[in-house]
Amino acid sequence: MALNMYDMLYILNPVLTDEQQKSEIERINAFITENGGTIQKVDTWGLQKLAYPIQKKRNGYYVNVYFNAPGEIIVRLKRLMEISDNHLRYLVLKFDAKMTRNYEKTASTSQEEAQA
Amino acid sequence: MARRTEKNNTRTNSGLAPLNSNTPVTQPRQKRKNRLGEIEFVDYKNVELLQRFINDQGKLLPRRITGVTAKQQRSVVEAVKRARQMALLPYVADNLS
Repeated sequence: MALNMYDMLYILNPVLTDEQQKSEIERINAFITENGGTIQKVDTWGLQKLAYPIQKKRNGYYVNVYFNAPGEIIVRLKRLMEISDNHLRYLVLKFDAKMTRNYEKTASTSQEEAQA
Repeated sequence: MARRTEKNNTRTNSGLAPLNSNTPVTQPRQKRKNRLGEIEFVDYKNVELLQRFINDQGKLLPRRITGVTAKQQRSVVEAVKRARQMALLPYVADNLS
């Protein structure tokens, strides 16, 4: 089965406790791995101010996940987040050639920054 | 320009008031330097970069102002719209508050 690379960003409800947030992230990651995907990188941005209120909330807990997965599970993944009250927003992008090149470029520079 | 003055003259001759020949030639709006350089893709998560392409109200700036290539502008537009969906950038910014 062909795997695609995806970039997913979602906003968790800021009302959740730290533990709930962790378990929610775990739940999403588990869903991906259980369905034949692999997590590349999980980047939790943490609590950030939203540019505009969503569901009367001014802050959101941002989580950015890079993963490989078969295309069929994306619909189910989206549905999972659609149903859940814990997700304010989500955006899943499939990597195309340009994005991949850009990602590789930034990944190498950010690594250098981390070392510095 | 020469043609216009010629026209003015004919109008004066025909007894009509001359068109205002003192109207200053409108200066071309200052174009910003292309700050993207050779970049071919703009990430919607790069808020700092995207902020250069919107005005105080959060509106997208036209290409004649941003000075980027058409290809890059399309990439920028897409990125800004995605960033708005994810509440990284505002749809409308109240610049007074």
